[in-house]
Amino acid sequence: MTINYKLDAINEVRKFLWSELVTNKIFNETEYYSDNVATTIIPIIPVQQSPELNQFLSGKKHIVYDKINSSYEDNWLICNEQFMFTIYSVDISEINEIRNFMLDLFRRMDESARDMNAYPQISDKFKFHTIYIADITPTTPSEELQGFLSADVVLQVKYSRHITPNGRFN
Amino acid sequence: MDSSRLLIQAASGLERLMVGTKPGAIKDSNVAQISAFVYYQANVIAKLTTNTQFQNKFRKTIFDQINKDFPDYIDALARSKPKSLHHVYEWNKTGNEGFRLFKLKQISQQGLSFKLDYELLLSKSAVPNTKSKKKFIFAKKASVMEAGMPIRISPRSAERLVFEFGGTTVFMPKGASVVVKSPGGRASTNQFKLAYSRFFSGQLVNESIKRSGFQNIFNAGIGRALKVPTEIRKVQYTFSPGRIRSEADMALASSFGGSL
Repeated sequence: MTINYKLDAINEVRKFLWSELVTNKIFNETEYYSDNVATTIIPIIPVQQSPELNQFLSGKKHIVYDKINSSYEDNWLICNEQFMFTIYSVDISEINEIRNFMLDLFRRMDESARDMNAYPQISDKFKFHTIYIADITPTTPSEELQGFLSADVVLQVKYSRHITPNGRFN
Repeated sequence: MDSSRLLIQAASGLERLMVGTKPGAIKDSNVAQISAFVYYQANVIAKLTTNTQFQNKFRKTIFDQINKDFPDYIDALARSKPKSLHHVYEWNKTGNEGFRLFKLKQISQQGLSFKLDYELLLSKSAVPNTKSKKKFIFAKKASVMEAGMPIRISPRSAERLVFEFGGTTVFMPKGASVVVKSPGGRASTNQFKLAYSRFFSGQLVNESIKRSGFQNIFNAGIGRALKVPTEIRKVQYTFSPGRIRSEADMALASSFGGSL
């Protein structure tokens, strides 16, 4: 059986976050439909793709994410990672809304992880143990995107990937 | 009086109980041995916070983790906000860990605490230039841009400055200099300092300390040091307080000395 090394915990967090943002009507999917590619572009984008999507996301609220660090401790089954989400919007109330929503969703340690694990679209190769907010910054005018405001939310995520009896990824 | 000194003082009351009774009296090793046990462990605990090996290991463990996490944090911020933090990396290497122009340093150490500061390093790579083969290194790039200091550029070997500005080539008068008001762009001024304060005044530094695993090292070390040595476990009627104190010192040194 081929092991999928493309799977990454941050992508699973992103899927869950997007689903929750849409379900709670904080984002409207239809606003992010691209005629060029005939699909909805999820406005939670990795920092590496940010320049390519700047034009499409011009004036629209969106989130840019990146992984700060990743480490396995003595207990090598459990991975400890930090993810940074930078929220961009031209409207301060929209940033506050997303920030408060993420705070509500992700601050509850094992309860937040339980919600993630229960979300059906999360890969069954992962088991999340705890998620909590490591840092939130105030909303400030963005130096990167003119006219936008921005705020950062840093998540601390502990998870395991399912493994074979000899400890390799399953 | 600190608690470790109080503990030593209290434990010293056990010293007389560890000495054998007068000849002829009924000898009971239990009191002496129990006293020696307690005396030993009290000494280990009391001397722990003043033990140099423990202090060094404690500081090193925490500093090493912070020294990994803080630069990682700056790298991630720089990738998300290149205009704000490009200046603390070599040219066109923003967010790349091999090209950082900053480093953390410990400026003082006392007991279990230490103070940190950062240092902006000199750039070693040439300023990108596609128009000329001449190489110029803007060594103080990071510190000048961070401070938002204006710089004056004057011709050194050439008679005049020639550069492109807004798509046109500008020929400056002979010997004239130009002033760049904000060499890194206004967005970069004081941004590293801001990110540094954010990391160290918020929850991120606490996360880093937790991740250092110092609690595990402490628990394992203190567990080893508190294990009563064989000499004290042997049935005896007299124990030497001086020797027990030395045993406590040695146990701490062996538990917290050496490399991690």
